Amino acid sequence: MSKLTYIAGRLVRTLMLTVAVVLLSFFLIRLAPGDAATVMAGQSGYADETFIKSLRLEYGLDRPLPVQLWKYGAAVARGDLGLSYERRQPVLDVVLDRLPNTLLLDGFALVVALAGGLTLGAFAARRPGSAGDAGVTTLAMLFYAVPQFWLGMMAVLVFSVWLNWLPPFGLESIGADHKGLLRAADIAQHMLLPGMTLALYYMAGYARLTRAQMIEIAEQDFVKTARAKGLSERQVMRRHIRRNALIPIITYAGLQASILVGGTVLVENVFSWPGIGTLAYEAVTARDNPLLLGIFIVTSVLVGFFNLLTDIAYTLADPRMELGA
Amino acid sequence: MLGAMAGAPFLSLPAMARGNILNAMMPAEPGTLCYPLLNTRLVQQICGNIQESLLLLDWNFKPQPNLARSYTITPDGLAYVFQLQPDVRWHDGHPFTARDVVFSCDQMLRQLNPRSRNAFNNCQSIRALDKLTVEFRLKQPFNAFLLSLMASNAPIMPAHIYEGSDYRSNPHNFSPIGTGPFKFARWERGQYIRLTRNPDYWRPGFPKIDDIYFRICPTPEQRMVAMETGAVDIALADDIDTVVSSRLRANPHIVASTHGYEGVGEIAVLEMNQRRWPFSDRRFRQAFMHALDRDFIVKAINFGQGKVASGPIPSAAPYYDGQAVSRYPYDPNRARALLDEMGLKPGAGGVRHRFSFLMIPDGDGIQTRGAQYVRQAASEVGLDIELQSSDWASFAHRTGNWDFDMDNNSYGEYGDPAIGTARFFVSSNIRKGVPQSNIQGYRNREVDALFARAATAIAPREAQEIYSRLQQILTRDVAMLWLFERDPMLYYNRRVHDLVTGPNGPTDGFGHTWLSGAA
Amino acid sequence: MKDFLCRFLARPQTLIGLGVLAVIVLTAMAAPLLFPRGPFTIVGMPLLAPGSAGLPAGSDVLGRNLLACLAYGARVSLLIGLSSTCVALGAGVLLGAVAGYYGGVVDDLLMRFTEFFQVVPAFVLLMVLVAFLQPSLVSSVIGIALITWPQVARIARGEFLALRRREFVEAARTQGLSDGRIIFGEILPNAMLPIVVVASMMIGNAILTESALSFLGLGDPNLMSWGRMIGGSRSAMWVAWWTMVLPGLCILVTVLALNFVGDGLNDALAARRRR
Repeated sequence: MSKLTYIAGRLVRTLMLTVAVVLLSFFLIRLAPGDAATVMAGQSGYADETFIKSLRLEYGLDRPLPVQLWKYGAAVARGDLGLSYERRQPVLDVVLDRLPNTLLLDGFALVVALAGGLTLGAFAARRPGSAGDAGVTTLAMLFYAVPQFWLGMMAVLVFSVWLNWLPPFGLESIGADHKGLLRAADIAQHMLLPGMTLALYYMAGYARLTRAQMIEIAEQDFVKTARAKGLSERQVMRRHIRRNALIPIITYAGLQASILVGGTVLVENVFSWPGIGTLAYEAVTARDNPLLLGIFIVTSVLVGFFNLLTDIAYTLADPRMELGA
Repeated sequence: MLGAMAGAPFLSLPAMARGNILNAMMPAEPGTLCYPLLNTRLVQQICGNIQESLLLLDWNFKPQPNLARSYTITPDGLAYVFQLQPDVRWHDGHPFTARDVVFSCDQMLRQLNPRSRNAFNNCQSIRALDKLTVEFRLKQPFNAFLLSLMASNAPIMPAHIYEGSDYRSNPHNFSPIGTGPFKFARWERGQYIRLTRNPDYWRPGFPKIDDIYFRICPTPEQRMVAMETGAVDIALADDIDTVVSSRLRANPHIVASTHGYEGVGEIAVLEMNQRRWPFSDRRFRQAFMHALDRDFIVKAINFGQGKVASGPIPSAAPYYDGQAVSRYPYDPNRARALLDEMGLKPGAGGVRHRFSFLMIPDGDGIQTRGAQYVRQAASEVGLDIELQSSDWASFAHRTGNWDFDMDNNSYGEYGDPAIGTARFFVSSNIRKGVPQSNIQGYRNREVDALFARAATAIAPREAQEIYSRLQQILTRDVAMLWLFERDPMLYYNRRVHDLVTGPNGPTDGFGHTWLSGAA
Repeated sequence: MKDFLCRFLARPQTLIGLGVLAVIVLTAMAAPLLFPRGPFTIVGMPLLAPGSAGLPAGSDVLGRNLLACLAYGARVSLLIGLSSTCVALGAGVLLGAVAGYYGGVVDDLLMRFTEFFQVVPAFVLLMVLVAFLQPSLVSSVIGIALITWPQVARIARGEFLALRRREFVEAARTQGLSDGRIIFGEILPNAMLPIVVVASMMIGNAILTESALSFLGLGDPNLMSWGRMIGGSRSAMWVAWWTMVLPGLCILVTVLALNFVGDGLNDALAARRRR
């Protein structure tokens, strides 16, 4: 299969999945009682029929469901994700406004998790059963079992309130109007706690996986053969073990793309990080259906893209592997 | 141990906006800054700095001039004529005139804001007599009319921006224009809203602050950190959970004040669907009141903040009559006796009756804790409550469509029973699909007639007599289960002065506020 | 099998995990005996420190006995963790078995379907589902099962795919056994072990997910769960650390114990496969 047709096929599949996501979420969302008009009526503290009726009219909620779906589908096909009920702004703008913040946080967490996880896992696998191994394994187990939101709150308690080292929440210092490098440093400082909270969980996963893979591969025949041929330990490690251990780790990382993109809800909530996660939470509570659908669409497209990247990463890790094999 | 350590202030926090800048918080990001479109407390507190009302209330609930320099009322109580301040300009330089007032009251507010609609529907006509004179002519006397022009009821909006446009999609909903002491400056999505000093403000010498930042702090623990560390200067109502109020009050840098929300006069209540038995039986509601230790609610669950409510009118508001109300002290035995009397005897496991309690969403705040207490207290007298949590959509939907047994809520009286109280008890306001109306289905012809007469009474004495009688009937019927007066707390840093100047508090904006030590 | 058990029990972590788990399960079962008044009873003033009279773990924001809350919380966490895993196991095994056994179009369809769950951010989907179905025990279980079953389905499919051409299956087929009998009577018993191992790791995750839901206020308000305790004391964390720290530790220890056990199972299985 040529790479181009393969990639085209993947794109079509991603597209079809996105359509399925839209359809399913559209109906799922309308299962619930109440709509955005009732939310606003309830929150404004004083409502009457005219208020609710005019909101329903504005949002098109008075029309039959198939008509609503048709109108929505047609708009999405044109690249128009509609207006957010609550914010009265184009959904795409709202989502794209927040997306970089989440990607920044995710990117940081992913890099830290991968780098830390691979190093720790390899270190532990070097001498299985040693004290170092036991330490890494236990630590990994610990971070794998700790509730992220709780870890985040404890981190605020220790590093912000008690030790006074890092800002407790937010994306940057408000009103400080930093520019350029200073602003980057400011954001980095704010990102450290949420980023590490997020990273530790995944780092634990990568460390465990790396360790298990490397131990397993080290016992396999081709590695033994390599050793028998007189290759040095370092060469064996680099040429055979590392490369082969990488494949399942890439799979794991690929699978995690969807978790990362939308799964930062809790950490973002605890640290008031203005990303997609907090946005999704707000959209759920405000019954802001267009926004919610928009988030689903944008994230599934992104995840599709990540999966494609994972596939490409496979071929880099193992040139013998064909795309789509 | 950790608790003690949490006391260490972290001074090394990266430079917050200091100087002559006021830092405030928002528990959520508002959907719009179009005041009439989204008249929530949050928007009121932000837009109260940008838009202004015709009149202000002083601490005695007496109207004081604002955009209206003076006013006259005809003796029959039918015509109100307002002289407007001259030389007032909108933030974009456009002059403010009677046209803006007529447009706001007769069109924009009436179309968008239910509370304003309630008030201006009493008007036969709203006209500009000349460039700076407006006349409101009423169909019949309405003694709460002046209060309807206060703060959040009637913010004056710019006609040249909104007239003839689609209000809901007007771009200025995100960059509002007003006559107020502060101009809208910037809205950084997901982070903050910044207002800046209006140098051409019509009140000479004001405002005294350069900038106001409203930063988004969605979670209660963050708001607490922000307040305690001085990252923000003020915490408005409901920003700070009462759980930590003792700690903030003990902080020498922070002042706590209960003044500033008297104009809203909020009472936390339980509502029962009186179409359904046994809630339809007055004895059941009385029994339920006796089953609740409301002193305990105030003291322990709300950590001493607020005051047990005795009836529909807050004790600090006009027309309150403490002599007229029936009181329901904590008395579980009396509750049991009343339930026995109406035939609700204990069945298997001592349970007399099972029903559900739809909880208003407040993010594990005081309302949720109150509901958990109510469930516990009810079980002591044999009533088995199933709690149901909700989000705003399902809460508003289910209460509006009368699909509930019991719910909790919190309602403002807004300075006059005709504005904020009558709506829950008059039978004409039983309207299916509309939350925050008479959702309980309380019907009493005498009450209907009394509320109608009270609002049109011209002599204050007469109005007082009618409202006293109403308090008597409503509390006797337990027409609603009043729990406690909220008395929201304002917290502010010692460097902040004159934060609020009247019972509408932050809703009137921070035009008078100044900061000590500011350059 | 005996060999498998020996290997499983040989690791000290496994034994520690099992021991801790036994204590937690016992506490959960004995909670009504230890605290007959239930977790919701208000016993005193709120936010009393641990060690106050009769309150070894202090009281929470409503003046309830925190120790009773923790004990009853164990019931909820274990209940939801187990039942959602069971539901996911049932659905996943069924669909995975069908897909793996029949292959072809059925398999293709199913795999596309599981892909849907890989693409949509699972936790957001879960929030939507629970919020819209109204938070309750049932909606939490259904929601968690819904986002975890594809994992089981994939494993089950793989096992069935590998086993369906084996001799004993062919033999059963020539005997004229129905597909149902072959799937559940012949293949499933042989495929069950790896599936159970995966499931053992899922319980811990389900408990974490449940606590996250409750933390965000999307749990059953009539049940005392650890996540709810943390969420409910967010504002109190500055004045009463114990209301937040203790339930978090309970979650950590429980999930850790479960993962130790799951890990042990996994290793024992891997060792068996290697031979």
